[in-house]
Amino acid sequence: MTTYDAGAVTLRKVRDYVWEMPKQGDMRVPARVFASEALLDEISDDKTLEQLRNATHLPGITKYAICMPDGHQGYGFPVGGVGAMDARDGCISPGAVGYDINCGVRMMTTNLTYDDVQGHEQELVESLFANVPSGLGGGGVFEGTVGDVDAILEDGVQWALRNDWAVPEDLEHCEDEGKRPDADPTAISQKAKDRGKNQIGSLGSGNHFLEVQRVTDVYDDEVADAFDLTEDQVVVLIHCGSRGLGHQTCNDYLRRIEKTHAGLLDSLPDRELAAAPAGSQLADEYYGAMCAAINFAWVNRQLIMHRTRQVFEQVFDRDWRDMEMHLLYDVAHNIAKKEHHQVGVDADGTVVADDGDAVEYETRELYVHRKGATRAFPAGREEVPPAYRAVGQPVIIPGSMGTGSYVLRGGERSMHETFGSTAHGAGRLMSRTQAKKEYRGGDVQTALREHDRIYVKAQSGATVAEEAPGVYKDVDEVVRVSDALGIGDRVARTFPVCNIKG
Amino acid sequence: MSFELREHTADVAVEASGDTLDACFAAVADGLTAAQCDDVPDGVGDRFELSVESERVESLLFDYLDELVYERDVRSVLPADHEAAVTGGDDGTWRVDASARGVPFDAVEAREVKAVTYSEMRVEETADGWHAYVVFDV
Repeated sequence: MTTYDAGAVTLRKVRDYVWEMPKQGDMRVPARVFASEALLDEISDDKTLEQLRNATHLPGITKYAICMPDGHQGYGFPVGGVGAMDARDGCISPGAVGYDINCGVRMMTTNLTYDDVQGHEQELVESLFANVPSGLGGGGVFEGTVGDVDAILEDGVQWALRNDWAVPEDLEHCEDEGKRPDADPTAISQKAKDRGKNQIGSLGSGNHFLEVQRVTDVYDDEVADAFDLTEDQVVVLIHCGSRGLGHQTCNDYLRRIEKTHAGLLDSLPDRELAAAPAGSQLADEYYGAMCAAINFAWVNRQLIMHRTRQVFEQVFDRDWRDMEMHLLYDVAHNIAKKEHHQVGVDADGTVVADDGDAVEYETRELYVHRKGATRAFPAGREEVPPAYRAVGQPVIIPGSMGTGSYVLRGGERSMHETFGSTAHGAGRLMSRTQAKKEYRGGDVQTALREHDRIYVKAQSGATVAEEAPGVYKDVDEVVRVSDALGIGDRVARTFPVCNIKG
Repeated sequence: MSFELREHTADVAVEASGDTLDACFAAVADGLTAAQCDDVPDGVGDRFELSVESERVESLLFDYLDELVYERDVRSVLPADHEAAVTGGDDGTWRVDASARGVPFDAVEAREVKAVTYSEMRVEETADGWHAYVVFDV
C-alpha cells in the first residue's frame, strides 16, 4: 500500500490522485484528498489537512470530507473543501460556505479576436477601470435603496432583466436561471442590507478581478463548439461575490447558531464550524438567507458584465450585440445547495465511504457545501441548463493574472467521486505578507506588460503584489488532475489580455 | 501595546498584545487597520464611538471587530487609531466601549478585509499581559 507521510497524519493512496485520511478518534467519516503528489506536497504544507480532518466532525457528513487539487488553508473549513451533509439529520454550516456567499466566476464570450483587441489594450483597461467600481468604498454601478436590495434578494437576475441590466439569454445561461427559488429576503439582516445597497455592481478587492482574455487552446472541439469557444477568441472573466451583504449574512448566522446550538458547537473542534442541525429553524433561516445572498451575488456579477458590454461599445464603437457578447455561464464556488445524490449503504442503511462495502444504493437529499469548489455536473443532469445538457455543465477555473484560466465541463465521474464538484482556481501558495516581501506591485505590472503583453490596473500596488502570479499554485497541474480524475474535463484554456483589480 | 501581521496562506492573521485587555483589543483593531492599509495618514478624519456587548471575551472581540468592518462600509471610512475599554465578565456579559478615527477612503490606499473569523482565535491572559490572535478573511 502506498502511503504519504503528511506529518500529523499518514494518507493512504486509494488510486492515482485519490488519497484517504483514515477515520480516527471522533472523525465521523474518513477524508479524501484529490491531488497529484506534487500538489499534495503543497496541500500538506499548511493547516489544510488539519482543517479537513476537523470538517469530518460535522454531523451528518456523508461518505467523506473532500479536499480538491487546489485546496489550501482557510478558516474553519479548508478552501477547496466539499462536505455533503444529510438534509434530514445532518447540518448546515455557514463556515463551510464561507463569508463571501456565492463568490464565483462568470465568463462572457465575444466574436472579437485577439487581433481586434491589440492596440486597444491601454484604452480598454483604463475604461474598464474607470467604469467598473472596485476597491474599498468604490460604490456600485447601481446605487440602490433597501427596497431595491429586497427585490434583488428575492428575484436575482430577473430583477436585472426588469431594470435593463440583462437580456433574457443571460438568464438562460445562468445556473437556476439566475434566481434561487428558496431565497428568503426577510432572513437577511438590516445591517447586511445597509452594507449591500452601496455595493450593487462592484468588484471589491483582494483576489477579485475582471479580466479580458484570449482563448489560446481548445482541447475538445465538440464541447467548445457547444460553449461557443474558438481559438484566438476574446472572452471576459468576472470574479467576485456578494460583497458586504454576504459577509454580514455569514457573520450574523455564525453568531446566532453559536448562541442557539452551543451543544452541537461544543462537539466540534473549531468554533468557525458552528452548524445548525438540519430541520431546525436556524438551518432553514440560514438556507433562505444564503439563497437570497446568492441572488445578490448573481446580480452583482450581472451588472458588472452588462457595464463591460457598454465599455466595449465605447472602445470598439459597435453595439455589444454586434460583438455577440453573450454570457457563457456563471459558476458559484462558495455555496451550499440541497441536492439529491446516490450513495452506497451497508446492510444497516449507513452510508459507506467505499463502494466495495455497499450492499445497495439509495438517493439522499444532502446539503452539499462547496467552499472554494465548483459544481461540475455531467451531461444529462436536469440541473444543467438545456443549452449545455447534452455536453455537461461549463466549469470556469481562473488562474492568476499572469497565467492561464480554464473552461472545463462537468466530468462523468464527478457525481460518484466528489458529489458533482471540482476545483475552483489555482489555489494560493504564499501568504499575502510574504508576497509583499517578495514582490513590488509596480515591478509585477511592468513585467507582465513587457514580457506577456498583459495590461494590469489596480486600486492598490499592494494588491498587485499580493496577487502576483508566483503566489499561486500551478493551475495547469490543478486542471490536469481534475481532467485525469474525470471530475472536470478540459475544454479550453485562456490567457489574460487586460486585468482590473480592486 | 503592539501587533504583528502573521503569515496565513489565504488570509491575514493578527497577533496582538497589551498590558491590559483594553490595550490588547485596541491593538487587534489596529492590526485590522494595518491589514487593510500600509500607510494611514495622520490627522485626517473624525473620531466616532461604538459599543458592543457579548457573552464571552472571544465573542466580544469577534463582535467588536465585526462592528468596525460594518462601520467602515456604512460610514465609508477606514477606522484607525483605536481606543477600547473592556468591562464585565463576572455576570456573563462583556462590553467594549470603543472609538476610532474614521479616515475617509479617498485619503488612503486601502484594501478590503471581508470579515473577522473565529478560526484559531485566542484571547488569553499571561504573566506579562493579554495576548490575542485573530484570522481575518480577505
